[in-house]
Amino acid sequence: MIVRRSMVILTSVMATGALTLTACGSRDDKGGDSNGGGGTTLTIGVDAPLSGENSTTGLGIQYGAQIAVDDANKNKLVPGVTFKLKAFDDKAQPATGQSNATTITGDKTAVGAVGPLNSGVAQSMQQVFASANMVQISPSNTNPELTQGKNWQTDKKRPYKTYFRTATTDELQGSFAADYAYNGLKKKSVYVVDDKQTYGAGLAKIFTEQFKKLGGKVVGTDHINTGDKDFGSLVTKIKNAKADLLYYGGQYDESSLITKQLKGAGVKIPLFGGDGMFASTYIETAGATSEGDLATAVGVPADTLPAAKTFVETYKSKGYKGDYGAYGAYSYDAATAIIKAVKAAVDANSGKVPSDINALRSSVVDGVQKSDFEGISGKVAFDQYGDTTNKQLTVYQVTKGAWKAVKTGTADLG
Amino acid sequence: MTGIGPVEPVESPERGESYDVIGADGPRLTDRWSVWWRGLPPRVRRATLAATAITLLAAGVLVPRALSEDQHPQPDRAPVPWPANVTAWRYLGPAGLPEPPGTHPTSGRFRFAVNVGSGPPVTLQVTGAAFTGLTAHALPDAFTVHPGTTRLVTVEITVSDCSGLPLSADLPFLDVTLRNTRAIQHHSFIFGRAYSRDLFRLLRGACATRSAPQPGRPSGSAGSQNAD
Repeated sequence: MIVRRSMVILTSVMATGALTLTACGSRDDKGGDSNGGGGTTLTIGVDAPLSGENSTTGLGIQYGAQIAVDDANKNKLVPGVTFKLKAFDDKAQPATGQSNATTITGDKTAVGAVGPLNSGVAQSMQQVFASANMVQISPSNTNPELTQGKNWQTDKKRPYKTYFRTATTDELQGSFAADYAYNGLKKKSVYVVDDKQTYGAGLAKIFTEQFKKLGGKVVGTDHINTGDKDFGSLVTKIKNAKADLLYYGGQYDESSLITKQLKGAGVKIPLFGGDGMFASTYIETAGATSEGDLATAVGVPADTLPAAKTFVETYKSKGYKGDYGAYGAYSYDAATAIIKAVKAAVDANSGKVPSDINALRSSVVDGVQKSDFEGISGKVAFDQYGDTTNKQLTVYQVTKGAWKAVKTGTADLG
Repeated sequence: MTGIGPVEPVESPERGESYDVIGADGPRLTDRWSVWWRGLPPRVRRATLAATAITLLAAGVLVPRALSEDQHPQPDRAPVPWPANVTAWRYLGPAGLPEPPGTHPTSGRFRFAVNVGSGPPVTLQVTGAAFTGLTAHALPDAFTVHPGTTRLVTVEITVSDCSGLPLSADLPFLDVTLRNTRAIQHHSFIFGRAYSRDLFRLLRGACATRSAPQPGRPSGSAGSQNAD
């Protein structure tokens, strides 16, 4: 058969090509660590809260990146290079994140970093990575300022060319949530609470502006501190305000307790939040009181992404802790973008790892900017601000004890 | 998942094949083929028909045998993508000529480019335009976009009830039902400032002027001077 003969020829050509490439590959470059097999080891840092508050989603980021690194090594995505993941716990604290960024950039085998989870932590890390000309890709930061500058609503300006993200922004998330609350749920009066953090306060502000524009009424606002456990006085205020919806900008740690105490006081209104509370832990902590609560999250449901199926199976089979549902796939794609950029740099250097780590880091920044591949969360590419071009998001609602998608959307803001 | 997964068996994504989409990218392949064929000399047409008949006869004999000989398993095909994950909308601008000054139409037409990246053809139907009080539909209602192609589509939006309509908002969207051999999905396509500006120009024209002579009227139909 012609087809069979063609396949034999094609296979021979590919095998010859692969051998040629392997022969050209560097075995003794100075960039990165030389490992026992004679190849080069390059490090990818990952920073997220791995203990304490926010760690459910933080661990999902760590292990999402870990699976990407394992896949790249197993498939020899960059011949002659072994990737190693080094995870750092920022405890959701900006100062710790900044210290971790300094450690990562000080590692002469490090070519890039994935993370952090929190927008407020990212603000403290961006300058460190920019100074080292090292790429940083967050799978979860949603505050618009990180990529588009402080005046993003009127004059977008990219602050750091080394910073990218695979998650879409709160401009989209907050507006979509407000529309669903007003037009979908038919809620007309809302009480808005945030945790005073960069992410939470920013998201609550965007939601509030859009809800008002749509004709809704904000009957009260308040702020809490991260780590708070007793929300009795807040619950009383919400009850007296007679709101028919509570919108919360912040993380699941606090919102799961707020909804529990709210419903416990007989205030049977749904709590609506952002991706920061889209975690299995929210439902586990709040129990039955979470029924009917809502959250927006970046991307579309994982079960509509065929490429994510293997990732989910691997995550489960490895017994990794944390929740992959919110950002795991986006972390996988962030790490893969770095790895592919390393491959481009090696290919452009005649198959050798550039010996100067600074030159390699610079090439990786350029390579990530040019990313264009099908990841497990969809297409991976970045616009001129470092934002993902994949602007999908989903509204989830707790139904029978699980997050269920109730609305999906895709934005084209061009 | 609620509102996401298949809501009915998907038999044929090609329903509505006879529609015409305003501003489609170019003539269909069959149209181009027909023009080319009519341009050939009669002798060439006869020779081509004879050669085609012989080729088909040979294929009829050889292909079944070849298929029976080559029973090797085929490599895994890529799974059929969900339609919302391969479909993209881009706003192009208002359709048609600008309205004369002083006129306040209650409906407007807007142009979009709809692309399907991969997988089987996707059939789309616009079902809404974000706000209660607006109706929206594509011209025609349902249209199919084939993978790897972009079709230009016109959507007509009509203001049916001004009460409760905002006169400005960010990121308005179209609600669309998408259907391919994998699933039927209800999905929103969200647009940026240009669409927001053009849509709210229509809404303000349709509603602001009509409510002005009737202060205090809680609601009214944009298409009628009569109170509801």
